[in-house]
Amino acid sequence: MSTQTKSTGIVLDYVKTVGIVNNGYNGRGFANPYDIAVGGDNRIFVLNRCDPLRAAAIRVGICNLDDDYLGEFGRGFGAGDEQFVWPVAMALDSRDRLHITDEHNHRVTIYDTAGNASAKFLSHWGIPGAGDGELNGPAGIAIDSSDVVFVVDQHNSRVQKFASDGKFIANWGSFGSGDGQFNLPWGAAVDNDDNIYIADWRNDRIQKFTNDGEFLAAFGSSGDGEGQFQRPTSVAVDPEGFIYVADWGNERVQVLGPDGSFQLILRGEATVSKWAEAYFESNPEEKAERDISNLLPELPAHLNTPYHISSQTEPFFWGPVSVSLDREGRLYVAETNRHRFQVYQKR
Amino acid sequence: MTTTKHEKSLIVIQLTGGNDYLNTVVPYGEGKYYDSRPAINIPQDKVIPIDGRYGFNPSMGPIKALWDEGKVAVINGIGYENPNRSHFRSMDIWHTAEPDSIGKEGWLGRAIRDLDPQSENVLTGINFGRGLPRALGCPGVSVASVGDLDTYGLFPDVQDEELRMFTLEAFSRMYGGAAGRDPVMELLGQTGQDALQGADVLRTAPAMYSSTVEYAPDALSQNIKSISQVFHAGLGARVLYTQHGPQFDTHSGQLATHAKLWGELSGAVSCLMDDMKEHGTEDDATILIFSEFGRRIKDNGSGSDHGSGGVAFLIGGAVNGGMYGEYPSLAEAEQVEGDLRSNNDFRSVYTGILEDWLELDAAPIVNGQFEKFDIFRS
Amino acid sequence: MISNDTALMAHLLRRAGFGANRDELEHYLEMGYDGAVEALLNPTDPGNMPDDLIRRYHVDQSELRDLPGSAAYWMYRMISTSCPMEEKTALFWHGLFATGYTKLNQARSLLNQVEMFRRSGLGSFEELLVELSKDPAMIVWLDNNENHGASINENYGRELLELFSMGIGNYTEEDVKECARAFTGWTLGNAEYMAIRAAKDSIWPYGRIAWHFDYRDEDHDDGEKTFLGETGRFNGEDIIAIIVKQEATARFVATRLFQFFGADEITEAGEKIIEEMMATYFSSGYQIRDMLRTLFHSGFFKSEEARFARVKGPVEMVVGAVRMAGNYRDPYLGIESVSNTMFYMGQGLLRPPTVEGWHEGAEWIDSGVLVERVNFVAKELSNVSSPGVRSIIDRLEAGADQGVLDPSELADGCLDLLGPLQVSDETRSVLVEYASRHGDLDLNGHQPGDQAEQQVGNMLRLVAATREYQLA
Repeated sequence: MSTQTKSTGIVLDYVKTVGIVNNGYNGRGFANPYDIAVGGDNRIFVLNRCDPLRAAAIRVGICNLDDDYLGEFGRGFGAGDEQFVWPVAMALDSRDRLHITDEHNHRVTIYDTAGNASAKFLSHWGIPGAGDGELNGPAGIAIDSSDVVFVVDQHNSRVQKFASDGKFIANWGSFGSGDGQFNLPWGAAVDNDDNIYIADWRNDRIQKFTNDGEFLAAFGSSGDGEGQFQRPTSVAVDPEGFIYVADWGNERVQVLGPDGSFQLILRGEATVSKWAEAYFESNPEEKAERDISNLLPELPAHLNTPYHISSQTEPFFWGPVSVSLDREGRLYVAETNRHRFQVYQKR
Repeated sequence: MTTTKHEKSLIVIQLTGGNDYLNTVVPYGEGKYYDSRPAINIPQDKVIPIDGRYGFNPSMGPIKALWDEGKVAVINGIGYENPNRSHFRSMDIWHTAEPDSIGKEGWLGRAIRDLDPQSENVLTGINFGRGLPRALGCPGVSVASVGDLDTYGLFPDVQDEELRMFTLEAFSRMYGGAAGRDPVMELLGQTGQDALQGADVLRTAPAMYSSTVEYAPDALSQNIKSISQVFHAGLGARVLYTQHGPQFDTHSGQLATHAKLWGELSGAVSCLMDDMKEHGTEDDATILIFSEFGRRIKDNGSGSDHGSGGVAFLIGGAVNGGMYGEYPSLAEAEQVEGDLRSNNDFRSVYTGILEDWLELDAAPIVNGQFEKFDIFRS
Repeated sequence: MISNDTALMAHLLRRAGFGANRDELEHYLEMGYDGAVEALLNPTDPGNMPDDLIRRYHVDQSELRDLPGSAAYWMYRMISTSCPMEEKTALFWHGLFATGYTKLNQARSLLNQVEMFRRSGLGSFEELLVELSKDPAMIVWLDNNENHGASINENYGRELLELFSMGIGNYTEEDVKECARAFTGWTLGNAEYMAIRAAKDSIWPYGRIAWHFDYRDEDHDDGEKTFLGETGRFNGEDIIAIIVKQEATARFVATRLFQFFGADEITEAGEKIIEEMMATYFSSGYQIRDMLRTLFHSGFFKSEEARFARVKGPVEMVVGAVRMAGNYRDPYLGIESVSNTMFYMGQGLLRPPTVEGWHEGAEWIDSGVLVERVNFVAKELSNVSSPGVRSIIDRLEAGADQGVLDPSELADGCLDLLGPLQVSDETRSVLVEYASRHGDLDLNGHQPGDQAEQQVGNMLRLVAATREYQLA
């Protein structure tokens, strides 16, 4: 079964689902994942935002595509070193250093993941405020081929450009809906030519800029049609220029061509992960009832919204908050409300 | 207010989330345990042996020391028929002693009512933590929930002590108005005065207490310390309640979490027992430790899921230490849907506590007659 | 001084809402009393905090898996709505058709039930009961998923008659059985799997799966039934059509509405209003909105006797103080600790203790709970950095002669702006004496958080701590 529609220049095949809900404080599984970054060695870093009951365990989990859970790092809720309050997004630079934003602590935390089984804390930077280089609610983060760091400064309605150590270089943007303006922007991405893409969340569009912030294009409008968005949270661009968008409010992922033309929609088709299988092995009575259930139900009219449909349809994306790519053409979609990610392979 | 220093008190520690029985009192002599738990077993050489078959979790060293002194009763296979594996519902069952329908009154609320039928002491029952557990809830029974003993009372956020006293004094006058107005205003006035009085008395507890015992900084230890302060202040508190968790819900990464929780718990209990020894009150209080359910026999690769049959502990100077009841069999034929079959009804333990310790009529409190163990020294 | 119009409007808004700050009161006063009643009874766009913002910052309120975040989610709506009667009505039905998380382990579906109360709670009682009977949270709560054509489970059928419509004594055991038969086949999608997940509190493997209604024709007992003297091959809708015709149902609904919106105790005058509401029930075709219109326009409701004749419930206490203080209008880190306070006071949203709901009125009060109630509102309303408190300070200044208030003006001003609140002479004299501690209050040139403002904050703290503030 495939939930893809209207594929023209690009085909994505579903590969697998990795994850299980983790309602504890450590160990295998995820707790409201908010972003994914895939290292050169194909280790997968998953940022666990965590609900308030589990805030003491805010952390980054590490796994791989073979479902091995490799460990975790981070020291939970707070403002100390390696602590987070509302972590949002991650990006890896050319030296495998992982940069993590925190929209409540107004800072970026950096870990060295090179050659480590886990990760080594390096530093954090960021000063709250509205001046040049100061941050108010850093959300998305992207790093270009020269290790220049772009941070989406959501409450200041701008994008800021920093050297890899956090030294301010430039910024652009203001509040509004015109070209180059933003309304609570979120995700960021860089393409092969070092252009910058921003998920302009409350304007329901993706904006594309040069590396210096010159406006190039805007894609999308508000709605649930093809090429339309409801609160896009995350964007990624592959080497051929295809643009992947986490169309969060529509509970789906859309792919656009390099020119912004609509290509396809993914609705999600999650299957039972290896960790989920282990759960069902020790809970066979639950499995037996599940096996005779219809996990793709028809819903009454008053529940006929993407959010409600996804809340009742386990295979579909629910809270698809981030799209990430690896170097082998795989797409990873992290789902906050389902504590898992789905993997797709570009054909 | 009556000061009843030497009346017997019950201290309850609720383990929230479902404590894993099999990794608390480990059946390390049984191959079936290791077969069922490839991911989360306690190796034989790490177990603290009780005998040739059973032993304590490695983080329960201080409990083992109390065991060796004969002060620890382990109640095996505790639970109820038709086990419910939902946290809230099963905890409700434990709290209301009512497995078959939704109970309205907490068993300890009823006990407090019977201990203090005229509501003479607003401190007969006290909970340490925010929010009253259902066990303590009963219409007409007022139980204080103390989040922080040092700031307990009205207007804790007023930093300026002089302003606070001034405000409290005004409050007292506003709630002390003349009788004879409408019943609701009357009730509010009386309740306000009770609240002031209870807070005033409670606040004296830390000052009346001194001890060489140093409690650890974790939340449970600090709550246990508050319990010790109030208990030793001789305020007539008979039922003192707190909880540990909810991290006992160890579906993932169980070994590390469970060890940490039991490390904290063992340390806190050990401190409390030392404290009581120092104050010569060892025989005046008994500690009950329970959880809403045990966990599944088979692990899930990283932790364990909700199960039935669990373990409870009674600890204190007045307790006849030892193993009570049989450890349920791990054999498949004996299991209930993959879980341990409970063979001791929790209400029989309540009955023992109520009759032999608090000296109350148990049947109306636990909703029936239950055979009890002979746990308390007479 | 305080006009009767203002006092009456404040009374209406305590009942048909969560109390009102002075800006809201003036807004409703412009409509006049009748206009305000209509505006409250006909909710339009609530303008509440939008879901996209809530979901972005609060992952727990996006997923709605756990109780604290789910209660906070509803509380946000209560705090930020401009249609308070919609939420008050939902809260009323939530207390009457009390469905609790603790058995369901399914907050999303409970919130869907609350949304149903918003949608249908002021309309026809007949339609409301049909919706309730199709509500999957209710179905699991009262075991109707176990009510099969071949073997009935009476739980829902019984409570529908006893607790949700007529009350005990108005039907026979045989009616209960026949009623249950009519609701066989009324279940939820994937009922068996959902039931085992609910029973085990299973969130595995990927979080919760929300519920929807499913009618299983093959599991429905289509045979002839005799219910309350009528005979036919009744289905659930037919049974409800018979229920709503009964005088006992009219009395039940009118009484419960009266006690929630009118007064805790039913006096002789109150009994007469209940009779009038029953007449409206029948003449309007069972419309709740019309019954409440009858109540709000009654002489009793407008009289002094009805003022402050209810003990505020914890939800009213917390939401009222937060709305008055103007706090938490944007996603707020730690909001669940605010909504947890309601639970500590004895009324956790989405977790009524039993199917009988909460024991209201004087039973809200005990000494442990009173400490929670007083501390919460005192803290909320004494914080001079809160927007609503700042607005009170500005109004006090604007109303003062040369910006200076003597102690009785300060006390009376605070009583007015937090209500208007009527207090006993003793209470007022304590307040005035308290205000005298620093002599006259000079608000000229006051700065955020300065001594003069703190004096107002201190006064508001004490007013919020009065016995009278505990009443609605």
